[in-house]
This record gives sequence, C-alpha cells and structure tokens, in this order.
Amino acid sequence: MKPIFSCSDRGGGPGSEYLDLFMMLPAEMSWMLDEQSFCHCCQLLLQWSQQLKDGWSWEGVQGSEDGYLRKTVLRSVVIDSSPVWDLEGSGSQSDTHTSCHSRPDQQGQETEQALCVAPEDGDSVRGDIDDDDDDDDDDDDGVCTVSGGSGQVLQYEYHILFSCSYGTPVLYFRAVTLEGRSLSLEEVWSSVHQNFRLRLQQSPLNTITLQEHPLLGQPFFMLHPCRTEEFMRPVLQAAQNQHRPVNYVLSWLSVVGPLVGLEVPLKYSTLLHPAASLGSTEPD
Amino acid sequence: MADDKDVLRDVWFGRIPTCFTLNQDEVTEREAEPYYLLLPRVSYLPLVTDKVKKHFLKVMKAEDVEEMWLEYEGTPLKWHYPIGVLFDLHASNTVLPWSITVNECWTQIRLHINDNNFPDRDLLHCTSNSVIEAHFMSSIKEADALKHKSQVVNDMQKKDHKQLWMGLQNDKFDQFWAINRKLMEYPTEEGGFRYIPFRIYQTMSDRPFIQKLFRPVSPEGNVHTLGDLLKEMYPAALPNDGEQKRYQVVIHGIEPLLETPLQWLSEHLSHPDNFLHICVIPTPTD
Repeated sequence: MKPIFSCSDRGGGPGSEYLDLFMMLPAEMSWMLDEQSFCHCCQLLLQWSQQLKDGWSWEGVQGSEDGYLRKTVLRSVVIDSSPVWDLEGSGSQSDTHTSCHSRPDQQGQETEQALCVAPEDGDSVRGDIDDDDDDDDDDDDGVCTVSGGSGQVLQYEYHILFSCSYGTPVLYFRAVTLEGRSLSLEEVWSSVHQNFRLRLQQSPLNTITLQEHPLLGQPFFMLHPCRTEEFMRPVLQAAQNQHRPVNYVLSWLSVVGPLVGLEVPLKYSTLLHPAASLGSTEPD
Repeated sequence: MADDKDVLRDVWFGRIPTCFTLNQDEVTEREAEPYYLLLPRVSYLPLVTDKVKKHFLKVMKAEDVEEMWLEYEGTPLKWHYPIGVLFDLHASNTVLPWSITVNECWTQIRLHINDNNFPDRDLLHCTSNSVIEAHFMSSIKEADALKHKSQVVNDMQKKDHKQLWMGLQNDKFDQFWAINRKLMEYPTEEGGFRYIPFRIYQTMSDRPFIQKLFRPVSPEGNVHTLGDLLKEMYPAALPNDGEQKRYQVVIHGIEPLLETPLQWLSEHLSHPDNFLHICVIPTPTD
C-alpha cells in the first residue's frame, strides 16, 4: 500500500487531532506527501496565517484544481551601486562587491531580515568594505557595512508548490525592485545567511537555482526538493513517536524558509499545539 | 526487437534545419549574414549554438556582448526545453528552415544603465555549459524519482552521470545509451516503471506544462496508452466522436497512434533527459 502522510486536523475531539490518513510506516519506507494531503496542510496553514496576519494566500490555477501558497514581503535593502560582484575574484578591490543591508519593514509587521555576510569572515568575495557613516541602524546582527549606495525597497515573493515527482513541497521565490527589475542570483544570494550559504553552495542539488515556475512559466529561484525527505524524516518520525500533531508543510517551511530570508513566526506552533500554549508540562 | 533499437537511433539523430538571423535592432559594424545550422532535436540551444554566437560576434564589438538569447516570431525561446520540443510547439507545420532571431545583451558599462534587453520575466539565464549540465542532470534525477524512486540513478557512480552528460554534449549515441539503458529497466513483475515521466505542453494557456503522477499499468493490469494519458490529463486534446480533429499530439515531430502503450513510448521516445515531452498543437487549417 502506498504510504500516505497527512497533516494534523485541529477540528473534532481529542482523538481526531491528527490521524486522518496517517499510517504506521516501517522505517525504511519514505515519508511522502501526496497532493491531497499537501492541499489539506496548506489550507490549515492558510487559516493559521490569517489568524496571525502572516500574509499567506492561496492562488489557484485557472481550469484546474492546482494551486500554490503565496506570500510577498517588502524589504528595505541597501544595495551597493558598484558592478555585480565577481564570485571567483580575489575581492581585493573595494568597489567590486555588492553588499546589502536591510532594516525591518517600516510598518514593523515583518520581522524578516536579509542577513549579510559580515566583512570579517574572510569570504573572498567581499573586498575591503568601508564603514558607512549612514548606517544608523545598530540593531541588526550580522550587518555588513556599506560603502555608499542607495536604499531600495525590494519585493520578495515566495511560493509553495507541490512536487509530485518527489512527494514534497517546493519553495520558489523571486525578488524585484519596485521598478520591476528582477534581482539576479548573485544579488539574491546576499540575502541568504552566511552560515547557510556555504552549505548550500557546496551541494548543488540543495542549492538555489533559477528554474521555470511549473504553473506560471516564469523564472523563479528554487530550493531543490530532492533532499527534503531526508531532513523531514526525523521530524515526522519524532512526531509519530510522541503522538504529536504535525503539519508537514509548516514543519518543512520552518526549516527551508529561513535559508532564504523567510521567517516563520513561532506563534504558529501555539495554533498547532493549543495545549502546549496553556503551560502544559508535556514536552512540546 | 531490432526495430525498437532503430527507433532509439532515429530519435537521437533527428535534426531541424534552422536559419539564424540577427535582430534588425542590433547595432553592428557591418551587415550580418544569416547563419544556417542543423539543430539536434534532443539537445539544448546553448549547447549547439556556439558557432552561431561566434558568427554574429564577428560583426559586433565582442567585449560588449554579455549573453545571447533567441526568439521565434517574437516569442523568446526557452533554452532549457529540448530543441525539438520548441520546434514542435512553436513552428511545426511551418516552412523549413526554422527561422530564429538572434538577440545580444549588452554589458552595463556600455549602456550606463541598469537594465538590458534580456527578457528576464520569460527566460532563464544560461551563462555556461555547467548550467545546462545541472539542468539536464536534474531532469534525469527527477525522471528516475518517478520511475524507480531514485534507486537506479542513486546507485550509479558519478562517472556514469558524467557519461550521460558527455554523451549528449558530444552527440555520442552509444556512450549515452550504455548508461541510459539502466534507467530504462524495470522489474519484470511490475510490467513497467512506477510512474511515467512526462510533460504535456500547449500554447493555449499560461501554464507551461502539465506534469502529474500516472502509472503505465492500471492496478487491474491494463496497459495504459497515450490516449489514456491524455484522457486523464488533457481531455480537450482528444477529438470527440465524429468530430474533426482539432489538435495534433506530437512527439519528436510525429503523431504516434493514441493506442500506443505509454510504457513503450517512455522507453523509446523519451528525450535524453528521460522525460516524454508531448506537444499538443492546433491542427493546421489549410
């Protein structure tokens, strides 16, 4: 029988909390999501997002039942106006880098921050970076200083789609300036936290690549899904062992989202585990 | 069967006569002659158009050119689609040679502005052959995820993966199929692959393609055909009883019979990326 995994369902009594289609699986079988369960997880996530005002929406595709979760985030980013950096260069000149610095969105609703590579990390990409006197936001950790450049508002757009080939969700995203210019892969890399960037770059199939969006046909960056099952397995196994409800898409998003600057508020977990938020002594 | 092996060769060696012309808006130092080339159906544009690039660079300032992109009658051509698919989708039933327009993108330095004319809402960038290789290998791995839960491709050594790519890049049929045949095997008791890797393309909507799970054999043991696939995935492509055929279902430039078993099509008419690329195009009215 084909293993099907479903996410939790908050409706109903205590017993129905998470076991609609969940089946006990032998260890060697893989935890694959099927499309129906994916949609179910997305709908739940959508409900919670609406409660938390986290900004997710469901976009359908005309003429079919297919669709995806979508969220846009505005970020204030300072991008150096020098030419695009040389990823393989010695980085000896101060004007051959693109750096970015982001402050929280002015409305204060979004807490996402684009994290930059700090100059001291010896990254050969970055040249000498002059202290920027205009950098008046001291709160950011890991802020790289900027040698001049104009502040820009960028719109990041995140899509969550289902990959039937891998039985997992896939994260697609793109970033544009308000004038509509698409950011290049180099510029987008700068919004990936330095700790993740090294790991992502070393493994081509875990990395960020430019791909055609399967439903829209436009270029998007994508985090390759072929390793998703590997990192989700312990999460799902633990949840099963502890009889905890888990939403596959939410758990997956909380792992991959931060890699590309998309934060997933912790408050989601209180909606998923309402008992835990009441100060229960049970391990969460 | 000896005949089936011939099909593999016919697919591999399919060619499309093409004429490349420089976009009239391009600034050149002198008139650019069109360039003629036979394009392999199973390859990718940036892999086989180095000569085209060199030809047109002769009439331009080479240091200014950053990236070349191609279009057909105003439609930017997606380099990551196999060439044969692009042709069948956009230009089948037109007079040969296939007329492609060449566009060059200029560096920012020369233009002193931030954007160039690369259609980055339509096309992916392709800056080197390693980008093509990554895309090709990614397709092969995805196809094997569908066919064998990735077991065959993961059991291969790195050098085998490399051989698949080199076979395609250098147009070496035997080198390619020495490894690819393993990706075409399946346990006899299964009757076929787990799922068939396929994509159905059409130009009538924004959605670039349809790709879903579909088994080659039903749970009752019935062999699924091309017609069964279309009925499930794209019923509009099939003619209603007694009606004139509105659409052609094209694979590698031909219209296979709808009764053809899907498993056979997957084994013999897939592209080197191991996907069955199916184009649904309006029947020409002439």
